[in-house]
Amino acid sequence: MTDESSSEGLLDSSLLADCSRSEPSDRPNILKALLAIQERIGYVPPRSIPQIARTLGATEADVAGVLSYYQDLRTTAPGRHVIRVCMGESCVANRCGQILRALKDHLGIDIGETDSGGQFTLEKVFCMGNCAVSPTIAVNQTLFGRVEPAQIRTIVDCYR
Amino acid sequence: MIHTTLFLSNDTSSRAVGVDRLAKLLQDESNVRLVRTSSRGAFFLEPIIERDMPDGRIVWCNVTADDLPGILAGQGGVALQSIPFLAAQTRFTFSNFGITQPLALDEYRTRDGFRGLEKALVTAPDKVIEELKIAGLRGRGGAAFPLWSKWQAALLTEEDEKFVVVNADEGDAGTYCDRMVMEGDPFRLVEGMLICAHTVGATRGYIYCRQEYPAAAGSMKAAVHIADEAGLLELDGRRFPIDIVMGAGSYVCGEETALLESLEGRRGVVRAKPPFPAVSGLYQKPTIVSNVLTVATVPSILARGGAWHASLGTDRSRGTIALQIGGRVKQPGLVEIPFGMTLRRVLEQFAGGMASGSRFKAAQVGGPLGSLFPESKLDIPICYDAFSDAGAILGHGGIVVYDDQTDMVELARHFMAFTADESCGKCTPCRIGSVRGRELLELVQAGGATTADLTLLSDLGDTMKTASLCALGGRAPYPVLTAIEHFPHEFKDRLKM
Repeated sequence: MTDESSSEGLLDSSLLADCSRSEPSDRPNILKALLAIQERIGYVPPRSIPQIARTLGATEADVAGVLSYYQDLRTTAPGRHVIRVCMGESCVANRCGQILRALKDHLGIDIGETDSGGQFTLEKVFCMGNCAVSPTIAVNQTLFGRVEPAQIRTIVDCYR
Repeated sequence: MIHTTLFLSNDTSSRAVGVDRLAKLLQDESNVRLVRTSSRGAFFLEPIIERDMPDGRIVWCNVTADDLPGILAGQGGVALQSIPFLAAQTRFTFSNFGITQPLALDEYRTRDGFRGLEKALVTAPDKVIEELKIAGLRGRGGAAFPLWSKWQAALLTEEDEKFVVVNADEGDAGTYCDRMVMEGDPFRLVEGMLICAHTVGATRGYIYCRQEYPAAAGSMKAAVHIADEAGLLELDGRRFPIDIVMGAGSYVCGEETALLESLEGRRGVVRAKPPFPAVSGLYQKPTIVSNVLTVATVPSILARGGAWHASLGTDRSRGTIALQIGGRVKQPGLVEIPFGMTLRRVLEQFAGGMASGSRFKAAQVGGPLGSLFPESKLDIPICYDAFSDAGAILGHGGIVVYDDQTDMVELARHFMAFTADESCGKCTPCRIGSVRGRELLELVQAGGATTADLTLLSDLGDTMKTASLCALGGRAPYPVLTAIEHFPHEFKDRLKM
């Protein structure tokens, strides 16, 4: 992930054009554009909302509304690795609370925080569909099932 | 020279418990060919390695690296048919699972793939809909709405554009059968969409897939591409394009109208109904919104006939149900059986009882909005009517079992906090009610609540049930109120004297 946003949080015009492009038969789509921007630079800078709105022909309120609605859209850069702890019911039944505690202790951060080195962001998620081998954590796109608190250190340290 | 072919699942849950590590070790063996299939759904046995031997398919379960030399030498293992969890199932929608490679179009065809579509293409639309009516197929996503009726409404509405939208926002915690279908048998979903498009005259298809399922989205994208290359997306003389669209982590987007808002790029806020999407849906055009499993069930119905489907299950719950067992049991995994078996029998026969050292406390059926069943209520048959009579829901078929270490007050708080997090905010009962509900349960936890607060919680629940716009607010009180109903002491013991 490269930093294509300038220091003021404004987007490069070619990046913006790329991310808001749609097929001729498509209608302009705010969510799709925001996801595309996030895919490229890791988050959507709130200062870029007017730019995005202008490009898509939407109001700033529309763009800000979509940006604030979806849990997966970020307004700040995450750590290099995002660790998500599943809090779905099957994981709850299989003591995901202990996993979460082990992660918090090991990383020294709470849910929604990034460690001081910018390496790890800790998040919770409601169900990864991995229920039959719960409890589950995900590091970026890789899932780990039947996780035990004692394994947390080993799993996390593979990504350091 | 290849001497041995080994079969390993490529399903996300199989990979999450180490199948890829085994595959990597085996790759270095020069005389071994690896075939990555879909999963049989017996996840408690994963990692599994299978091999064809003179006496048939042999299976090695819970394999570790140390077992590999023995497997290569053909030592040990058990016959596939000897695994009761699999042998006792009736698989139709999941008939290919564990057998085919997900993206092998020829393998899908060999196993009756596209037979349903072939039949539909030579059948008049109203006759296809009649077949679905005879079949008695009801939506498997949770609402259990008769599918034929949606298709009929879309067929009868005249418009230049119509859409088929597959709801792949499988957000109910404890469910994973849609993920399995998309990862493991993606052409079945494509076939179901094509049958629907041909019947109602749809011009474009979308699969709205939750962000948490990257492998499922990848598999669907690849399958759509392969189908397109093979000319399969040519329908009635024009191309029927199918797009896979990713969600962004909102649970309520599994509700069909919120999903359509999100697909249009806006906040995933619920729309008031009517109009129903079949008449006015995506961009106000007639739109069939159906869950993955529902659409994937259509091909078998067309291929085998509606009467075949209607012959399975119970009076008003026809066909099979895909139960997804999770939580504190010995044998979590996917179970496809005809409707009608009791919950108790499912837990005994398939779940295999509790995980070692655990004692049963409650089973939750139907995801985070589903009711809790204590031991005394397990004799309920798994079908829509019995559940509806009990004020419960089958939802998307998830069953999560909790053990005696579960704190019911904390669990109830967890449910309300979930709804408060996920409420779209459009209607007051859900937006405010879920927050007030969570606060009341936190008060119980802190030891500051009185009997009057529990009464207030119950009143709040009644308001949410009757006045919420969609099932999120309308169902959210059920797990909480059933927790209080069946485990009253856990709540009352924490009240302020």
